[in-house]
Amino acid sequence: MTRWPWLRFAAANTLRNRRRSAVTVGIAALGTAAILLAGGFALFTYQSLAEAAARTTGHLIVAKPEQFLRDEDVPLQHGLDDAAALQAALRADPRVRQVLPRVEFSGLISNGDKSTVMVAAGIDPDAEFAVKGPFLKITAGRVLASGQQAQVMLGEGLARSLKAAPGSGLTVLASTTEGALNALDVTVVGVFSTGVPDIDQRLVYADIRTAQQLLVTQRVSSLGVFLDRMAATADAQARVQQQWPQLKVQSWVDQAFFYRGVRDLYNRIFGALGLIIGLIVVVVVTNAMAMAVIERTREVGTLRALGTLPGQLVRSFALEGLLLGGVGTALGAGLALAVTLALLVFPVQMPPPPGRSEGYPLQIALDGGLYGFTLLAMVLLAGAASALVARRTVARPVVDALAHV
Amino acid sequence: MDTAHPDVLRLAGVHKTYRLGTHEVRALQGVDLSLRAGEMLALTGPSGSGKSTLLHIAGLIDRADAGELRLRGQDVTALPEVQATRLRRDAIGFVFQGFNLVPVMTVWDNVDYALFIAGVPVPQRRQRVQAMLDAVGLAAHAGHRPDALSGGQRQRVAIARALVKQPALVIADEPTANLDSHTADQVLDLMREQGRMQGAAFLIATHDDRLLARCDRVLRLLDGCIQGDRQPFLTRSAA
Repeated sequence: MTRWPWLRFAAANTLRNRRRSAVTVGIAALGTAAILLAGGFALFTYQSLAEAAARTTGHLIVAKPEQFLRDEDVPLQHGLDDAAALQAALRADPRVRQVLPRVEFSGLISNGDKSTVMVAAGIDPDAEFAVKGPFLKITAGRVLASGQQAQVMLGEGLARSLKAAPGSGLTVLASTTEGALNALDVTVVGVFSTGVPDIDQRLVYADIRTAQQLLVTQRVSSLGVFLDRMAATADAQARVQQQWPQLKVQSWVDQAFFYRGVRDLYNRIFGALGLIIGLIVVVVVTNAMAMAVIERTREVGTLRALGTLPGQLVRSFALEGLLLGGVGTALGAGLALAVTLALLVFPVQMPPPPGRSEGYPLQIALDGGLYGFTLLAMVLLAGAASALVARRTVARPVVDALAHV
Repeated sequence: MDTAHPDVLRLAGVHKTYRLGTHEVRALQGVDLSLRAGEMLALTGPSGSGKSTLLHIAGLIDRADAGELRLRGQDVTALPEVQATRLRRDAIGFVFQGFNLVPVMTVWDNVDYALFIAGVPVPQRRQRVQAMLDAVGLAAHAGHRPDALSGGQRQRVAIARALVKQPALVIADEPTANLDSHTADQVLDLMREQGRMQGAAFLIATHDDRLLARCDRVLRLLDGCIQGDRQPFLTRSAA
């Protein structure tokens, strides 16, 4: 035992009862893989929802403070004046990729026979679609184009309700910023799906000029600021807020209620799951080590008689636990990695979540932090559990240990 | 005291009582004993006479209720457990009736272990383990596990493990009980020869007449008291 004596001793001890060690390693591997896969799924979901949320609103949302705090009596009551100048100033920031104006309002939309409530967004279509990419699924017709006034896109539920299709003529009605009622005849150019049926029942996209014409204003509700990367959000938020203290700058997280809700829910579900699995692994390792310690009580007595200090023996047993846990978690990490890569090669489609009309591909995030933390925690827990169960036997009087049958 | 052969071990008025529920067993009742360097002392007596208890107390793996225990002149009666462990590691060798070798270690590793825990540098360990295995005739089996050895070979490994650290005192509990007569003779010869070379004192509990005959002194224990201290016939004749 000239090199790594304790490690070699511990490794040899783990091979005394190969079947028991194999079961322990197997359970540690499965537990680790389960934690890594569940955690990776949660992280992938967070990433996807975060990207979707930031793509919808922009990484930063710039508006008057009242826009976030109070309801409006009339449309754009708390809107931004001279949005174009602010837009240009914001674009000067090196981290800013695009600034998109948005006019949000509600009203009625009618086909002459039937009128229904709509929630509308006036956007700069060319810039919007250029920045966000294909964020809407076009089910009929085409997307809006900038500068083409009196044209709208309808959510597919709304289009179905109004029996509208590309080329259909509709009338939109809304209160102007002065409180008067205004109407505008528009043509449907496209029908889309957001994947959320409740939204598709109400949502209308129009060119921002069309929205401002209907509301008789030059204001916009807010500006969505798109950065070159997500990680720049906090710094950019502080910078923009400092530059325009009279305005309120929110990040996408503040607006992402669904993301926050899912994250809170998943953190609880997967956190509890991880704890339970971790506990099972620790119990299995503890049980295996407890049996090993009891079986070797007489040997412990011999080694103590020979002059081995109790701490040395406890460390030796802890090392055995570390080895069992280490091999198990390494195999588990390998298994989780293999499943993660297999899902990229052989995609699996998940069913639509509640309130959604479309499923999504099952993918698992590969996160170094998650792997590192899980492996370290499992190995240390296995080692600590082993040390704990060994302590009692090692502390027994040597004579008693030697007499153990 | 003989200054050429100073006392390695001295017990004075040692008492030990075990309590089994409400029942008390007086295992040792005022035992006095001294053991010189190089001396081989046998403890004999019927089962339950206190031989093992005396070995345990002398080997610092149990404590006396009363009396004094000195090892190499040092009072070790109430030594804290950690210090007692270190003293066992450095100065006391054990030979058990059931060999008590570590089954996952090779012969070499079993012998080396005694030096490893004592922190002896690797080159010295190599040299001493090799010399000891040569001395007990097991160099060819250095890489074998104990389960590949005969009973006699295992006990020779145990003796090598006890002597490799050059202890002042070797405690041996029925070292020949599990061996056939021929092998027992070999083991005894080995213990005597190596013990004399190293100057180690042996305290041996045994019922084996051949072993008793080869020891320098024999103490007979009965009900926890020393009944007789004599020189065995063979040793007397040799003298």
